[in-house]
Formats: sequence, C-alpha cells, structure tokens
Amino acid sequence: MLELIDITKVYKGHKRAVDGLTLRLGPGLVGLLGPNGAGKSSLLRIAATVTRPTGGQVRFAGGDAVAKPGPLRRALGYLPQDFGVYPHLTGHEFLSYLAAVRGLAGRSARARVGELLELVNLTHAAKRPLGGYSGGMLRRVGIAQALLADPRIIVVDEPTAGLDPEERVRFRNLLSDLSADRSVLLSTHIVSDVESVATRIVVVTGGRIRFDGEPVELQRGVAGHVWELTVPPAELTALQRRLPVTRLVRTAEQVRVRVLAAHRPAPDATPVPPDLEDAYLAVVHRTRVTT
Amino acid sequence: MKAGVTAWWGLAVADFRERVRRPAYLVMLISAVGLGWLAVPPTDARWVVLDAGGHRGLYTSAYVGLVTALTSALWLTFVGFYLVRDAVARDVRTGVGQLLAAGPLRTPVYLAGKFTSNLLVLGSMAGVLAVTALVLQLLRGESRTVDPVGLLAPFVFLALPMLAVTAAAALLFETTPVLRSGFGNMLWCFVWMAGAVGGQSASAPLGGIGVGQLAGTMPATADTFGLGLMYVDRPLRTFEWSGLPLDAGFVAGRAALTLLAVAVALLPALWFHRFDVATRSTARSLPEPHTVYQGLPPTAAVAGSATGRLLAAEVLILVRGAPWWWWAGAALLAVAGLAAPPGPVLAVVWIWPVLLWSRLGTRQETAAILAAYPAPRRRLVAEWAAGVLLAAATGALPAVRMLAGADLPGLAAWTAGALFIPALALALGTLTGAPRTFQALYTVLWYMVINDVAALDFMGALPSGGPPPAAVAGAAVALFGLAFGVTRLRHARR
Repeated sequence: MLELIDITKVYKGHKRAVDGLTLRLGPGLVGLLGPNGAGKSSLLRIAATVTRPTGGQVRFAGGDAVAKPGPLRRALGYLPQDFGVYPHLTGHEFLSYLAAVRGLAGRSARARVGELLELVNLTHAAKRPLGGYSGGMLRRVGIAQALLADPRIIVVDEPTAGLDPEERVRFRNLLSDLSADRSVLLSTHIVSDVESVATRIVVVTGGRIRFDGEPVELQRGVAGHVWELTVPPAELTALQRRLPVTRLVRTAEQVRVRVLAAHRPAPDATPVPPDLEDAYLAVVHRTRVTT
Repeated sequence: MKAGVTAWWGLAVADFRERVRRPAYLVMLISAVGLGWLAVPPTDARWVVLDAGGHRGLYTSAYVGLVTALTSALWLTFVGFYLVRDAVARDVRTGVGQLLAAGPLRTPVYLAGKFTSNLLVLGSMAGVLAVTALVLQLLRGESRTVDPVGLLAPFVFLALPMLAVTAAAALLFETTPVLRSGFGNMLWCFVWMAGAVGGQSASAPLGGIGVGQLAGTMPATADTFGLGLMYVDRPLRTFEWSGLPLDAGFVAGRAALTLLAVAVALLPALWFHRFDVATRSTARSLPEPHTVYQGLPPTAAVAGSATGRLLAAEVLILVRGAPWWWWAGAALLAVAGLAAPPGPVLAVVWIWPVLLWSRLGTRQETAAILAAYPAPRRRLVAEWAAGVLLAAATGALPAVRMLAGADLPGLAAWTAGALFIPALALALGTLTGAPRTFQALYTVLWYMVINDVAALDFMGALPSGGPPPAAVAGAAVALFGLAFGVTRLRHARR
C-alpha cells in the first residue's frame, strides 16, 4: 500500500534525521518505537507528505507520493504530535470545516462528524469553543479529524499524549479495529501503547531501523538475558554503569533491579521472562554500544 | 540587586539572540542598508530626506551621520515598532513565559530585559546604518576625512532616544490589554504620524525628534526645513555643516526622553499578567460522561461538492471571535452610512474590518494538520473569497446606493476594492506569517486615501476618482498570485 524506500532526511546543519530507511506498510498496525531524536517524527511527516525526503521514494498505489501527494493525502489520516486548532470554533464546527476541506459530501460529512465526536467521547462538548478544551480533549479532536475521510492509511504521532487511562484503552480498541483492514503507523516511545495492538514492531534509532518484526520475535531476542536482583543503594550506580537497568524499585534498605545481561550478573540474580519494554531497551542499548 | 542585574542582562541577551538567529533579522539589516542609501543619495539624485531651505550638507562624517540618524529616528520608529512588537507574545506562545513566571524573576526585571532586547534589536539596525553612512561618505567622495565622533553623535543623541521610545512603546502596547490587539498596531500608525510631524517642532516636549535644534546650524528657517523622503526638481545646493550642537539643554532633553522611555517600559509592571493563564481564559473543565467504545463510525465517507461549506467555514473562521462591540460598530456604521454620500461611507466601513482581514494568510494554528490535507489551492481561494465576502458585506450599503444611483464607475471601483483589500491582506499575511504588516500598511494606505491622495484611492472613495478599477483589480489578482506562488514554493520546499 504505502512504501517508504531508502528514505533519507537531512536537515540544515547536516543533521541526518532519517538515514536510508525502508519501510513497507500493508494492513495491520505497525508500532514505531524509538528514543527521542531517533527520527520517528521526521519519518512520519515524510509518510504523511508534510515533509519532503532528502533522498529516497515514497510510493502509494504505484505512484510517486513526493511529486504528486494528492492521491495519498486523499487516503490519509494524519495526527501530528503537536497541532493547533481555531479556538473560537466549536468542536463540531472545526470538524465540519475539515470535512469540507477534505471534500466530503454534505450528508456524509454531517453524519461522520457526529459519529466521530461520539467515538472520541466529545458529543457533550461538541458545541463549546475549542479554546475551552483541555489538552486531552484537543488530542481527541485530533484523532477524530484523522478519521474524517475513513482513511486507508493512518499515521499517528504520539497519539496518547495527554489522554487519561480510560481514553487510552478506548483509543487502543479503536486502533485495533482500524488496523483490521487499514495500514496504521503509530509512533511512540511508550511501549505499552503498542504492546497489545501492534502486529509489527519497528525500532528506530539514529534514523535507521534496528528491528523490524513481530512483537514476540522482539521479545524472543532477549530471552534468557533479563535478570532481577537486589542490591544495596550504594552499589546501584556501579551496576548502572556496568549493565542496562530496565526497571528499579527502592525499598527501605535495598533496591530491586531488573537488568539486561548475557550472563548471570550476580550470584543471587534470577532470570525472568522478558517483556516488550525489556526487548526494546535491549535493542536501543545494543545500538548505542555498537555505534 | 546583583541577581536582578544578572537576570535582566541574561534575559535581554537571550531574547536578542533568539531574534537575531531568525532569517527575518538579516532582512531587517539589509533594509537598514537600504535606508542608509536613501538617506545619502548620489549627488545628482532627485530625492532627499533632509531639505535645509534648498540646501543639503556636504557629505562629511557629521552630515552623513546626521541624515542617517534622522532617517532611523523617523522610519525605525514606525517599522521598528512592528518588528520588535513580539517579545512578550513570543513568550506566551512558546510557553517560556510560564517557565519564567514560576521562577524568582521579578516583573520589572522581566520588562527591563525585554525593553533592553527591543533596544538592542533597533540599535543594531541603527549600528548598520552608521556603518552604511561611513561607507557612503567614502563612496560619494565629497569628503574623505573620517570623523567618528561627528558621525556617531547624531546616532547617540537623535536616534537612540527615539529608538528607546519605540522599544518602550512596543512593550507598553504588548502588555496593555486593549493595545495588545491589532487595534494597537493601527493606533501606532496615528501615534507615529503625529509624533513624526509634531516632533519636528522646536517647541515639541523634550525636544521631540531633536531637529528643532538644527535649524539654526543650517541655511534654513523652521518653515523651509523639511524632513522626510522628498522629491526635488534639481539637486540641492550644498553647504558645510558644522556638526551637532551639543549644549547642556539639548543633551539634558535627550537624556530626559530616554529616561522617560525607560519609565514607560517599566510602567506595565503595575498591571502585567505575568503569564497567569487564569486571567485570560475561563475554566477548562467540562463534565465527561462515561461512554463505552462501540466500534467504528457506520457512515461511509462519501466525496462530493464541498465548495459552499468550505467558503462558509472560511467566513466563520474569519469573523468568529470578533467582540460584540465590533458587530455593534459595524451596524452603527451601516445605519450612519444612509445619510452620507457612498464614497466617504465606503472609506469608513472598509477600515472597520481591518483586524479581521489581517487574519488572512496568517493562520498557523492548523498548519500541522492541514499540511497533510488535499487541495491546498482550493483552501487558499476559499480564504481569499471569504475576505471578499466580508468586504462585500460591510460595503453592501454603499454598493446598493451606487446601484440605485446608476453609478457604474463607482460600482466598478467598489468591486475592485473588494477584491484588492483581502488580496493585499492574504499576500502580506502569507509573506510575513503575521497580521501586523497588513494592519500597519493598510492603515497608512487608508489614511492617505482619506487625505485626498487620489492615486492611491483603490476603492473609489474620493470624488476626484482613483486609479482605473481594472488596474486595482489587476493588482488584486497579482497579489493573490503572489500569495499563491509563495504557498506553492513553500509546499515544493517542504
């Protein structure tokens, strides 16, 4: 459906945000994970036709989406990380405006705006000016606008920022439904956002793909390399210098630590089954060590 | 005390750095070089900025310093106001203000830092003008003797106080509720015009611009002394200017003006909101009902004609948020217009929506979302059309009266004007990304029209008639084309 082929993005000052990255999207949800500055947002802006790549191709339905972005834009729903709204318009008016910009027919637009407001739980606030919305409510308006034209390609950048736990669950359910027959590319650095819904995980650091596969495959890669042990607080810094620590819990006198290590790091360390966060941190750590 | 000084200077330097690292700053400096070139024209040029009773000074260091300093005192006070009038608004926009407000920084120190930063920006432009003056002195070749004190004295005693006044006024306007809006931008046009004319008088408070002191040093009387860009039939005769008379009274007046500017800059400490959002918006919390996710929307997204709805939405975006008094004023003008001839009425009703038109082309809020939407050209046309509809609606009554009176030339001028105003707003908004340029330029243009400058009468308000409506409509199309081209170029370079 959407192909990003050998994409490079170099900003002023020779800052290489994306470095020869290739990604092909079919139906399903791809969770794009990476630390801050990994190039995720740049890649998403390129996929959404907002930014031109310095090199490489973006192909959609066989056409060049860089030279002619129109066809991709008509099939795209994009939620940027940061966006603004017209504060004097109500939620309903704003979505109606964007539906008109998208070229939706009147009856279809009216119905979908109402349904999407219901979907993101904003019906009660639909007639209030957006200037009075909280950050989480605005984020939900952003989600609704991304779905206005029933897009085949959905690109969302940090979509759950500002959402409360209940809304996060609702959003995950929504993404799960959407990804049944659409391509969804979701960028985040919160692993739990993609853990339950992603059919494929792509880990990016330094503008390059470091892992591309199923979540279980990512976890399998660190099986037997995750350990838990208890150390005195005074030894914690030394341990953190030696090994990547994925979690720690302080008690009154000790610190319970979860670490990544190829071999048993201490005699009292016990092996534990890895979760997706361990696996992701292992990939990021390995990249840092080797580059 | 020491902490306050450190905070003041740190804030001023950081703010100054933030501004000078933007491409717009380079444009400002290049403009300053252009101003210098205007102030020290070639010896056979037919324009001057200072006419001393048909004379101009030989291009010595002192004289080129004087004319360039006066040029900056005259023009940087106008343009500079709009250039620096974003110091506090930027902190609101970026959220930096809230970080500062949560710290120990005191409000007067914050204002002093912003004032200093404004002054540094304007001062750096004046500095470029001073260097330009020196280069032009050597280039024109009437005097090769370089006198740094003579060159810089007019900058210190004439330009600097005026720039301080400008820097303080920009801060005062930014921090005062009514003046913070576009109304403040328009008001400054009139304040500046009054200051530029009245400030040349020898009896102006605190010496005004400072030129009242100069007449005695030149072969001119107060009546024959002219300051401003002027056309001359033939090159002026020359004389050797002796330099700026630095008597105690003059220096004290200049110092008092500068101190007054500092006081004006610090005055808003009495009412400045210090980034307290609660004073600027109503409570945000809305009760959230508990609902359950019930699946994707059942209605299909069907493509169809949306032009009418798009235009209606653009009109809504343009006028929504206008305060009640704006609508009351528009209604009052419409009623008052029944009693006066259509031309003058049109001039009045087409200044009223200037703040609404100035939003055209500047709406950055939704850029992140709309960048991935199709049909950017259709949106731009709809935006312009919304501005035209606003012009048509506010000018409807004069148009109806012209129609009733079979005033076809008047109607043609009306149509051209209705196309021209939003096209100008859209082009300037697209180019600069801010409403200030249109607010200032349109106000000046309008002021010149109501002062009988027929050549600029783009709306046909004057009995003597203005340029042909076809030319005005052509200019409107060209301006729209400019906005269109800039948008396309930005899209291509995205």
